[in-house]
Order: sequence, then C-alpha cells, then structure tokens
Amino acid sequence: MSKKRAAKKTKVTVRLTRRDFLVMAGTAAGSVIAAQALTTGPLSPFAELRQGQLTGEILGEAPSGGPHWGMSIDLGRCIGCEYCIRACNAVNDVKADAPWNIVVRERTENGRAFFFSRPCLHCQHAPCVEVCPVEATFVRPDGLVVMDYDRCIGCRYCEVACPYDARRFNWEARSDENPYVPTWGISEVERRPRGVVEKCTFCIHRIDSGLAQGLTPGVDLEATPACVNICPVGARVFGDLNDSASPVSHVLASRPTFRLRPDLGTEPSVYYIPPDEGTQS
Amino acid sequence: MTTLTLSRRFPWLTPGFLAWIAFLAVLILIGLVAAAEVLLKGLEVTNLTDAVPWGLWITIDLSAIALGAGAFTLSAVVYLFGLKRFRSIVRLAVFIGFIGYTTALLTLVMDIGRPDRFWHPWVYWNVHSVLWEITMAITIYTAILVIEFAPVIAELRWFARYSVPRRIAHSIHRATPVMAVTGMLISLIHQSSLGATYGILRSRPIWFKPSMPIMFVISAIAVGPAVAMAASYVVEWVTGRRAVPHDILNTIARFSGFGLLLYAYIKLWDLAAVSYYGRSPATSQALFLLNQQTPYGFGFWVGEMILGIVIPVILFLVPRFRRNPFNLVLGAGLAMLGVVFNRWNVTVSGLVVPLAYSPGTLVQAQPQPYVPNLVEWGVAMGVVGYALLAFTLGVRFLPLFSERRKAEPS
Repeated sequence: MSKKRAAKKTKVTVRLTRRDFLVMAGTAAGSVIAAQALTTGPLSPFAELRQGQLTGEILGEAPSGGPHWGMSIDLGRCIGCEYCIRACNAVNDVKADAPWNIVVRERTENGRAFFFSRPCLHCQHAPCVEVCPVEATFVRPDGLVVMDYDRCIGCRYCEVACPYDARRFNWEARSDENPYVPTWGISEVERRPRGVVEKCTFCIHRIDSGLAQGLTPGVDLEATPACVNICPVGARVFGDLNDSASPVSHVLASRPTFRLRPDLGTEPSVYYIPPDEGTQS
Repeated sequence: MTTLTLSRRFPWLTPGFLAWIAFLAVLILIGLVAAAEVLLKGLEVTNLTDAVPWGLWITIDLSAIALGAGAFTLSAVVYLFGLKRFRSIVRLAVFIGFIGYTTALLTLVMDIGRPDRFWHPWVYWNVHSVLWEITMAITIYTAILVIEFAPVIAELRWFARYSVPRRIAHSIHRATPVMAVTGMLISLIHQSSLGATYGILRSRPIWFKPSMPIMFVISAIAVGPAVAMAASYVVEWVTGRRAVPHDILNTIARFSGFGLLLYAYIKLWDLAAVSYYGRSPATSQALFLLNQQTPYGFGFWVGEMILGIVIPVILFLVPRFRRNPFNLVLGAGLAMLGVVFNRWNVTVSGLVVPLAYSPGTLVQAQPQPYVPNLVEWGVAMGVVGYALLAFTLGVRFLPLFSERRKAEPS
C-alpha cells in the first residue's frame, strides 16, 4: 500500500544551471534597485511630488519665512450671535442656506453649554487638496487653501474628503437675492458659477489687496476677514502665525489652544481656545 | 458555407424582439428626458446634498466598471496564461467590458457639476489624487478595449469593400497580447483604486481601511467573468445557437465561485477585524448609527453576503446545480446584484455617517438620509437602457462569436 502511494508521488526535479541562477539573481537585484530608484530615488516621478505635497515643503509652511495666515477662535467668548455668518454671507456673496461659516450649540464634557463656530480651517496638509483630480484647489505659500473655480469639474470628491464639512457645492445657478446685503456688508467677490465647489477663503481678496496697499492683515480692518471684524466680543483673532508680533501669535503665546482632529494630521491654521469646562454635575 | 454563418437565423423583426427594442427605447427616452433636466437645471434636481454628495450614479459607475472586469480577466487568461480554449468568449467579454466602461463614463459625465470640463483631468494633473489616476486609467483602458475590439468591427461585411481597415485591423490583431497585458495591469490598478477612493479618506471611520481596494478588485475579478458567462447563455437561449462551448462556461462559473469564496473570506475577516477584534470608538459608533437608522445590516448580510455570495457560490460550485445552465445564469445575476448592493452600501453608508470634528460632546448630527429621486432613477434607467441596447445590437450585428468557428475544423 505504502509502496503504491510512494510510486504515485510526482517526482519534482529542478534543473538549474549556473547561468540560470545568475540571471535570476541579477533580475532580483536589478528589480530592487529599480524599485528604489523609481519610488524614492532620483528617477522617481513622485520625488518632487513627495516633497511638494506629502511633506508640505512646497505647499505647506512658507519656506522663506513669508506670512502664514491663521486664526484663533475663543470658544469661551463666543456668544452664538452668528454675526460672523451674516458678514461672511454678505461680503463673499454666499448662499444663505449653505454658509461657509457654521455656528452650533455644543456642550462640554461636564455639561456646560458653549457655541462652536467653524470657518474653513485652511489645513497645511489638506485632504481636499490631496484628492482633487485636477488641482483645482491648492495650498498657497501663505497657507491659504483656495479654489480655482475655472478649473473645478464639480466631482465633489473634496467635499467627501474634507474632515470638517467646510466645502459647499453650487447645486444650481444662483438667482437669489442676498438677504444680508447691504445690512451686513457689500459683496466684494463674484458669485461662483453652477457646478463648482466653494469654501471659505479667509477673505483672500482683502488680504491680497491689503498687502498691496501696505496694510497688515489682522490689524488693519480693510485687510482682515469679515467674520473677524464683525465679531462683537472679539472671539476671533487673525494674523500671521510666523510673525510673533501679530495679534494671533499673541493669543497663541498667552492662551492654551487646540486644533480640530489633530489625529488626522491635517495641520489646520485655525486654533481654538477651549471653553470653561464647568463643574461636574 | 461562409454565407450560411452570416445569414444565421436571428429573431429579427419578430414581435418579441420588437417589443424588447421598444422597451429599451422607452428606457432611453426616460433617460434622455431626465438628463436634459439635469443639464438644464443643474444637480439641484437630484436628491444629493452637501452631506451626501455621491449617490445612485456613483453606485452605477462603480458597478458597471466592476461588472465589465470580465474583459481584462478573460483576456489575461487567454493571452497571458495561454489558455487558448477560452478564446471563444474573449470577444464577448471585451464587448461587455466596453459597454460597462462607456456606461460608467456616461454616468460620470452626468454626475460632475461641469460636464463641459470633463477633459480637465487629462490636462491638469494631480498625480497624488486617486481619482485622477482612475480617470486616466479608465479612459486609457476604454481606448484599449476599442482597439482590441476594432478587428471585430473590421470583420463586418460592410468593410469587405475596403482593404485598408482590414489590414489595419490585422496588424492590431497581432498586437492583441501586448494590449491584453497592458490592459490587465491598468485594470488591476484602477479596479483597486476605485476602492481606494474610499479607503484613503482618513476622516471617514467606516471607509478608512486598507482592505477597501482589495475587496473591490477581488469582487470585480470574481463577478466580471460570470457576467460574460451568463450573457453567453442568454444569447444562446435567445438566438438558439450555441455560441460558446458549455464546458468553458462551466469552468468560468467554477472560477467565479472560487473567486467569490476568496471575496467572502476577505470580507468576513475585514468585518471581524473592524467591528469585533480591533474596533475603534469611531467605527463602533458609525456602525451603531448605521444599523440603528438605516437597513445597513440587512443590505450587508442579505444583499451582499447571502444573495451576492452564498447562493451564487452554491450554484457555481455544487456539481448538481452547475449542470443546469439556468442555475448558472441565476447565480451570475445574483452575484451581479451583490456587487451593486456592495457598491451602494459602501458609497452611501460612508456618507450618511456624520463627521465628528466638534470639540464638544454632542453628536454633530443625525445620519443624513439619502434616497434617490425620480430624476436620478430616470438617468439610471437611461444608461441601463443604453447598455442593454448596445448589447442587443452588438449580438445582432457584430461577429462576436466567429473566432470559435475559425478555430474549429469544419
């Protein structure tokens, strides 16, 4: 019986000449070198990209010590008046039912109520920028995450990818009258066309034209985002994070702050001052 | 004798066939009306929102591409692994793949906000975007399918008058193995990348996992060939001609059965790892919300696992059932349904779970409901009508099965 079984077994013979062996070893070594060169080495088409997009050296913090615009929001101060939403809607001509800013009622761990507000966080490693198939959205050297409305194809992948729900899509061509104009401000930018995604810009038009006039964003009102200017309790502070004399740097130096979902590694430019926890009930 | 094969009997101009064409025409008409509505008024006419920006149409894209995977799988089997006896079904599989990919592209053009800028990904590259890579891969692969299929078109009697197309087609034909290999590489990449579209988004707890691309590509490889197999049987039933030898179709069914088993294995391990052994608070909460507010569990267990995997596996692998072609077609149909269920479940479930980023303790919002509306269903009917009409006309007018006759000693 066992003899029979043994006879049934297929005999496997490997005939390997020295030449075969050398060819195989050479191929393996060559593949390793080629893989290394093509993925991380000098031949890699992704080398520049890695530096640019993944480590943030090009798209992230400005390398030459230029400005990096940022904001701080004091959650303990916010009274939930929603003036920031109104001023933003007026200045940026945002659709009333899809605001760029949001303000919601929240509750701390101990049950104390506070108001949570959120513009776009202008992440330095922004998921929306990474996923856009046409580079219609990008991080500027000064830290702003901006949209190119002329390039966007409206696939809405950035909306899906944004961890903070900061993006809004233009579902239809707009013909509505802005109810916040002129009470809360005058529209300073064009309406976005149908079929593209839009988002908070930190009032980029004010920053750019303000700098051209020699103004300081965060200090001079004409160069500062509308939501910061209108806040009646000064909960929002704006400025250059790289400049230790800017208002926002003063806040960051003197108060404890945190950022939203730091675990995601998005490096937002918006810092929050935590609210009073309240007493355990 | 060659004229005999060309003047085959096809149920042409019979009441049944005309009724079928009329039915498809109605579907396409509905689709055209819905598409006009979308193009004129914008995506406002759909039920999509900023919270759930992707829905039924993305499900159709993903499903159509997955179901077209028979083209690359069977091409690879014939041209890469050298199993020449499967050659008789390759043309049909490539044709179905072509229909699947064009269906997906058609739906995508409807789905993007600016259809006039559909060409932007080719000009403005963001190589770090998985969606860019998918767009490039899908368009290149569609082109490969067209080229692979060109010899079939050139075989039409209409081209007999001209020698140039025939000669071009002949040289293309000789390059088919190269294209099959290229196509297979591109397909493997983008079939996985479609899953990666979701799998890389670290802010979405039930999407963010490395198993996503693998589950997508394996389900596509398993079900794609079964679609070609079922189509071949259906064509045989309707035309009364045996198109592809039954032993080949049986082998494909067995292949699909084993593929589905592998898919089920990875799926169950994924489930165990994500929701039992290594669950994070975010995924636990997301799954809890989904099960509480939506028929997520039902869709997963009944739609994906039982209908989409268990029953097809039994029909494909148990010899007693496999002997009956009807069971194979039924199994393929259910497996297709399972893929559609899966793509729907993945897309919509991931989006209806609200994002958690607020520093407070309140949950940001309730799950965002999403049910496609009439316009979305209308466009869906239109593209399905297009796919079925293209298939019907292809079977009627194109020499999809002639390679078998050439190979056969007559």
